Amino acid sequence: MRHNKLRTALTGLSVAWGIFMLITLVSVANGITRSFAEDMQNSSNQKISVWGGVTTKPYHGYREGRDIRLKDSDISIINREHKNTIKEVSSELSGKQSGVSTNKTYVTAGYTGVFPSALGLNQLEIVNGRFISDKDLDNNAKVMVLPEEYAEQLFPPDGRNAVGQRVNCAGLSFLVVGVYKGRFRTIYIPYTTARIFASGDNDIDEIILHLNDVSEITEADGIEKSVRNTLAATHDFDPEDNSGVWIWNAISQALTVQSAIGILNIGVWVLGLLTLLSGIIGISNIMFVSVKERTHEIGIRRAIGAKPMKILTQILVEAIVITTLFGYIGIVMGTALTELLASGIGDSMFEGARVDLAMAAQVTVVLIVAGAMAGLFPALKALKVKPVEALRDE
Amino acid sequence: MIKLTDINKTYPGAVPLHVLKGINLHVKKGELVSIMGASGSGKSTLLNILGILDNYDSGEYLLDGTLIKDLSENRAAEYRNRMIGFVFQSFNLINYKNAVENVALPLFYQGVSRRKRNLLAMEQLEKMGLADRSHHLPGELSGGQKQRVAIARAMITNPSIILADEPTGALDSTTSRDVMELFRQLNRQEGKTIVIVTHDPGVGKQCDRIIRISDGLIIPDNSIITSN
Repeated sequence: MRHNKLRTALTGLSVAWGIFMLITLVSVANGITRSFAEDMQNSSNQKISVWGGVTTKPYHGYREGRDIRLKDSDISIINREHKNTIKEVSSELSGKQSGVSTNKTYVTAGYTGVFPSALGLNQLEIVNGRFISDKDLDNNAKVMVLPEEYAEQLFPPDGRNAVGQRVNCAGLSFLVVGVYKGRFRTIYIPYTTARIFASGDNDIDEIILHLNDVSEITEADGIEKSVRNTLAATHDFDPEDNSGVWIWNAISQALTVQSAIGILNIGVWVLGLLTLLSGIIGISNIMFVSVKERTHEIGIRRAIGAKPMKILTQILVEAIVITTLFGYIGIVMGTALTELLASGIGDSMFEGARVDLAMAAQVTVVLIVAGAMAGLFPALKALKVKPVEALRDE
Repeated sequence: MIKLTDINKTYPGAVPLHVLKGINLHVKKGELVSIMGASGSGKSTLLNILGILDNYDSGEYLLDGTLIKDLSENRAAEYRNRMIGFVFQSFNLINYKNAVENVALPLFYQGVSRRKRNLLAMEQLEKMGLADRSHHLPGELSGGQKQRVAIARAMITNPSIILADEPTGALDSTTSRDVMELFRQLNRQEGKTIVIVTHDPGVGKQCDRIIRISDGLIIPDNSIITSN
């Protein structure tokens, strides 16, 4: 090896390239996995949303093109028929923008009537006080939960004292029971209270099914189908008519993404390892050449007392050292690139795309195994060299 | 020291080649002998068997009281390492290792630590008068120097016998004389048993005894006299 530095370096580069590809691919895949995994942890994924639609098939004497409107009663019907599979059925009712005021100041805000489960489904974080409770719904209580920003504006300077204060909204006095932090900026009030404010009919926009720990796509799809059947029966439309009600199955979607990520992860390892394989074959090749060139030397070593095992380990160690050395060059290059992606682009997808210790360990194991594989066959060939070779003239 | 009894060796093949046809040979401890013979006489095969580099088919080979027969690769390597010092025609030094490392190599295979084996190798080189060349690579040494490094390597394990295969074959006459002188010195001062395979009569003359081999058989001493 030492005598043919250029040859070794060129072949080594293919190993470095293989590892570089492996590291980069795996890091990016890890980054993608991590950014999805963060979403995945939220209970917001354990939900199926239903909206009223327009029929496209005639059914029971009705013509197609009929509007299906969800009613308050649908909530209790679904609740009753799917008690075993659905944790909670809820809805949201949004009101118009209206003024919310204290005796000193006011803000203009929209309100949303919700069930207690909205806390988890909308990924809200309660900063102060509490969220809407079942009791609030039962009593049509005039209570509200403010977003942090409004609390600050209504109760300067920092809104900490908001809980327990009263504000006026739509001519009624509301008790502030909590302050939250979240993606939306709407005032939450009990669903039943919002229902009273809303116009007389019992139409609702959206029914939200809150599920618990569904981890199989088939299970999620099954629930979706049975809920559609229930609504089809209630509203008299064809259960096969998919546009009678619109259903967004967040669970199935999340699970699909999850399994796709799993496949992606396996895929990048396979791709990376295949790239590495070409490098290993290269190393194996030069080791063969090296053994051939050193037949005489190996003969000498055998003649002066090298045991076969010593020769075997010498060749193996050499292959492992070369592979690992160039492999680490690849690791450094790969790390540099992923760090660049993570910091330079600043895209959240590459945020987690960093080379971590666990991966460095995995790759080291891969390298040592790869080196051993590269050296094995040349080493076995070296074993066949007879000590008599030492007596042969070069 | 060396006792060969009725050694036979046949190389298998389409036409089996019966190379050694019952060799009987006795070399006493402290002897300096040469084995001479024309090429094709079985001389090299005999050397291979003496050096435990090759097996024989029948007979018995006792080296320093140890029966050398049907050894495993590992056992053969161990015996070669401890009992035999090889000196070759083309020196057979490892060209990317310097003189000290070359001399120390047999000790590496005995598991001696680097410090200790380099120290012992240095001692051997000093005996050969090569202390100042200890860190030179073989390529930077003259033929005579290389052969002396090779002899130092053969001596370092303090073997029972030194086996030399045409040790002067690649050297000029002056250097040859020096190397032969070195062998005689090792023989007389350290009592080493030395077997030199050669076809150079000049080398043969400097040994205590010449063993002649022809067509796979040792020629008895008295028959040489009559044939001459």
